[in-house]
Amino acid sequence: MAEPKSITITVDGKSLSAPAGTLLIEACKAVGIEVPSFCYYPGLSLQAACRMCLVRIEKMPKLQTACTVQITDGMVVTSDSDEVRQARKSMIELLLGNHPLDCPVCDAGGECELQDMTFKYGAAESRYMEGKLHKEEQQWSPVVYFDRPRCILCYRCVRACGEGMDVWALGVQNRGSSSVIAPNQGDHLECEECGMCIDICPVGALTSGAYRYKTRPWEMKHVGTICTHCGDGCKTTLGMRRSDTGMDIVRGDNRDKSGINGDFLCIKGRYAFDYFDHKDRLRHPLIRRNGQLTQATWEEALEHVGKRLKEIRDTQGGQAIGVIGSNRTTNEENYLLQKFARTVLGTNNIDHHRTTDFAGFARAITGKQNATATMRDVATASSILLIGNDPTEQHPLLAWNIRSNVRLNRAKLFIVNSRPIKLRRQAAAFLQVPEGRESKFVAFLNGDDTAAGSLTSPAVSNDSLKQVRDQLRGAQDPIIIFGSELRGADIAALVKFGSGVRAMFICLGDYANSRGAADMGLYPDLFPGYVAADGPHNFNEEWGKVPQVKGMDIAGMMQAAKDRKLAALYVVGSNPVTDYSFDPAALQNAFVVVQELFLTETALLAEVVFPAASAYEKAGTFTNTCGDIQLLKKAGEISSVRSDFEIIVRVADRMGADTKKLVPFGKGVHADMGQSRGAQSGEADRHAVWLTANNLDPRLSPFDPMAILDEIQRLVPGYEFSRLNLIAGNDEHVTAAEHSNAGAGNGLVQIVPANDSLFTSGTLGRYSHTLNSVIENRRSTESKEVMAD
Amino acid sequence: MVISEKLDRFFDEKMKEYPTQRSFLVPMLLYTQDELGYLTNEAIAHIAKKVDLTELEVRNVISYYSMLRTKPLGKYHVQVCTNISCMLRGGEEVFEHCKQRLGIGHKQATPDGLFSLEEVECIGACSWAPAVQVNYDFHENLTPEKMDAVLDQYSRKAKQ
Amino acid sequence: MLHFSKQTIYTEHMSIIRDIAGIAKGMSVTFREMFAPTVVENYPDGPGPMKGAVFQERFRGLHVLQRDENGLEKCVACFLCAAACPSNCIYIEAAENTEENRISGAERYAEVYNIDYNRCIFCGYCVEACPTDAITHGHGFELATFNASNLVYRKEQLLAPIKPMRTEAPVESTSQLKEPAQDHP
Repeated sequence: MAEPKSITITVDGKSLSAPAGTLLIEACKAVGIEVPSFCYYPGLSLQAACRMCLVRIEKMPKLQTACTVQITDGMVVTSDSDEVRQARKSMIELLLGNHPLDCPVCDAGGECELQDMTFKYGAAESRYMEGKLHKEEQQWSPVVYFDRPRCILCYRCVRACGEGMDVWALGVQNRGSSSVIAPNQGDHLECEECGMCIDICPVGALTSGAYRYKTRPWEMKHVGTICTHCGDGCKTTLGMRRSDTGMDIVRGDNRDKSGINGDFLCIKGRYAFDYFDHKDRLRHPLIRRNGQLTQATWEEALEHVGKRLKEIRDTQGGQAIGVIGSNRTTNEENYLLQKFARTVLGTNNIDHHRTTDFAGFARAITGKQNATATMRDVATASSILLIGNDPTEQHPLLAWNIRSNVRLNRAKLFIVNSRPIKLRRQAAAFLQVPEGRESKFVAFLNGDDTAAGSLTSPAVSNDSLKQVRDQLRGAQDPIIIFGSELRGADIAALVKFGSGVRAMFICLGDYANSRGAADMGLYPDLFPGYVAADGPHNFNEEWGKVPQVKGMDIAGMMQAAKDRKLAALYVVGSNPVTDYSFDPAALQNAFVVVQELFLTETALLAEVVFPAASAYEKAGTFTNTCGDIQLLKKAGEISSVRSDFEIIVRVADRMGADTKKLVPFGKGVHADMGQSRGAQSGEADRHAVWLTANNLDPRLSPFDPMAILDEIQRLVPGYEFSRLNLIAGNDEHVTAAEHSNAGAGNGLVQIVPANDSLFTSGTLGRYSHTLNSVIENRRSTESKEVMAD
Repeated sequence: MVISEKLDRFFDEKMKEYPTQRSFLVPMLLYTQDELGYLTNEAIAHIAKKVDLTELEVRNVISYYSMLRTKPLGKYHVQVCTNISCMLRGGEEVFEHCKQRLGIGHKQATPDGLFSLEEVECIGACSWAPAVQVNYDFHENLTPEKMDAVLDQYSRKAKQ
Repeated sequence: MLHFSKQTIYTEHMSIIRDIAGIAKGMSVTFREMFAPTVVENYPDGPGPMKGAVFQERFRGLHVLQRDENGLEKCVACFLCAAACPSNCIYIEAAENTEENRISGAERYAEVYNIDYNRCIFCGYCVEACPTDAITHGHGFELATFNASNLVYRKEQLLAPIKPMRTEAPVESTSQLKEPAQDHP
């Protein structure tokens, strides 16, 4: 596509140029001339409803709305004259004519665009004597409240809901000054409860049920961190307030819009942080005494676990211990956990809840360049193939990016799915194939025309299949996205097809750090960076002796437990009893240690339960399902819980391990005899050399996750990203999968997709008040409607 | 069937003439209103489905136009013009008289469902002001007395 | 040699007269004040809740949270006082009014309203910031305590009583009406 022609215009005597087709308001913004507006919102359709952006354009009879005028050559614009100022002032006066003066109570007070504009452009004193129209506030859903009088009718919510979310749950009824925003069900909303309408509302007309009247914007400390639910890795800004228990999270929103999610956040990112102070949150270590889990001190619990694990390791060997890691803990914790398992416990029996086949994906794309797409790429790619999964429910940001890309860039979307997923409305072609036949479609893509036979149906003809294949073959750098429907050899086949068209891939996993867990080697057969445990690697050299044989996966551990061969099971932030139907009876004789936020089904079986910090209470990094790594910032603190990182280090310490070898902190592990710069530096402390080479200082504390991040960056190929950029709060793409050395693999593994909906989030989601209230509300309205029928 | 089959077929036929199907929405609503007296929830759902819009979008359009209604009115809908020509020639007196005689106000219906009253903007009969439109029939050069005769005529018509 | 001039005699005698006049003038003030009502305040032995202390209207003492004519709290928990406070001594937790539990006139009320008098500098910015005239300076000044934690005043201690004691006018101080509670949070 040719670059659009550049056009030069004059604004306030300044000459500026912008590509043809640029809106005047955007052209002005680009050079720092502010043209105020309420209804204009980048990426949404034009409205010209608020009339705030009126400017004088020479040779035009009246003031023009800068948000709808495209620049033309030689255009001369005045954005700041008495006439324009007067126009703005009058517009605000009109808007304020019916706007209540309840700023002191309004949630938007302090971050209200109308407030800001009134301060800036005047009209604080009204000449209207008429009474204001008052309407009672309405509750539209558990999370959305509507205050009619505050609404200035900019229709941003209507457009965000319709165009952005493709939900179309909001509309405008009546006309003129009696216009009103209306929800789709008369008096309530039936929607995805994403809260985009609340976020985008320039005033306090739409307010959030979770945050309403709790505090004021300037009272909060804002911490930009990552959502802890699905695998998309949206940035969410938490509003923190001091409280009795330390810090309280009062609000999650998308305040600075700097994350990979841009304008977007779904219900989970916005509201489902609220599990952190659920009443059932564990706040003390528990030890089983006389069959009962009873409260204990940290000292007792750590001592007990350290002693017992050491005993089991020394008497029965590491292979009698199993470790199950988490999809929700940070990269550093995952890395530390597997290092702890392999070096301290001496076992390769480590696994995690696999929601998709990341290992198979790594095997398929190893050695390829630019084979993985970032989340941002999805918003700009010219064509996208989506096989399996339902992004609207399971990967809301991905769905948003796909929708925006189709809407704004006319990207071509091809969908192959067994269900009529909602994204089909954006698709250029939607092929509904019988369940479980997604792999047949991959074979068909690769030229196996016989596979078409099992794919066709009344809705999907042979021709339409061929058409899609032809279009994909001719596609320019497409992105191919697939869910857990494709595994192992199917992924390899898909990659084979994709390589022919220079496609980039995204493999969809379900939880916040599923990709991180895979990258960090929570596998019985793979070390960090997908390095085969029984193949050549340098971890022996780096960590000391590590077991060479493959360990057991979760299914293997369950079998071993049944056979009384598993003496201990160490579970971090995972619930295998529910997720993997791990047989509770099998664990009766095993020593089970669980690090958890809540007393889950697995924790109930434990001998010792450690209360762990949630992702909002610790620092680290998360890698999203595309491989975008981002910094997790510590927002608040819950007294008496500790991070999984600290617990693991302390347990290792109680087992008599050298914590300095586990976490490279302080001055070097070995004495640096000055060779670090010399030719014999192989003899020196490699970590210290690496730190020096990268201008980093050694960490001072064994509980500093950054120390492990140093080691990850040093040892895991594909994790060589800019640390500065990461710390600045930006996302960096990691390519551990492309650099993997995973060997042959051991056939099909047990993959259990989470299949979460928009309103569920595994075990964690059960403890979110907001998610539960939305689910409850839906259930009650449904039953009401059934009764009415 | 929410609307008569004949009307439904007419819609299907006519819709083909519109390049954008939703452009046919307002005429469809008007025809449906004439047939049913008002736009029922079922009719709205039916029409929404026909033009592939959400019910909310159809309701938005209905609420925009004052001549589209979602509540039943009387069998004879008396629309009294009070715009400038009619007003100067006594349109407001006619409206007041109707109010008194029927015992109802603006946009209300008599309990027997026979009459409903509405004060409307110009109906284009200024030359014969004051004018009243009852359903689709015009009555011109009215006075309160003549208005009585018009209403009586409709009452009789209803009894037949 | 002494030389008496008319002038010298006049100055000598005049000085005596002037001294007498001065004493008389001074004593006149003394005598007048002897019969005038006393200016010295009889604090703390005086009558009434103020124990004899008299203040200028503008005196900025212990804050009072006012109520409206219906007895509802005027404070709507807008946090503007906390924002205006240069010593950061005001702590508020807001909550929503419900049909069953209506505390203030607007949608929101202050569930917790603490002023830390360890830090308050009585600048009056909070009073100026208040959009609902809910917080005012009363005339309470007896803040001395043996325990600094007693100086964190809670809403219950700051709030004007529901029925004003004497007049309809705003209550000047509540510090004398209620003992500081011992069970501080």
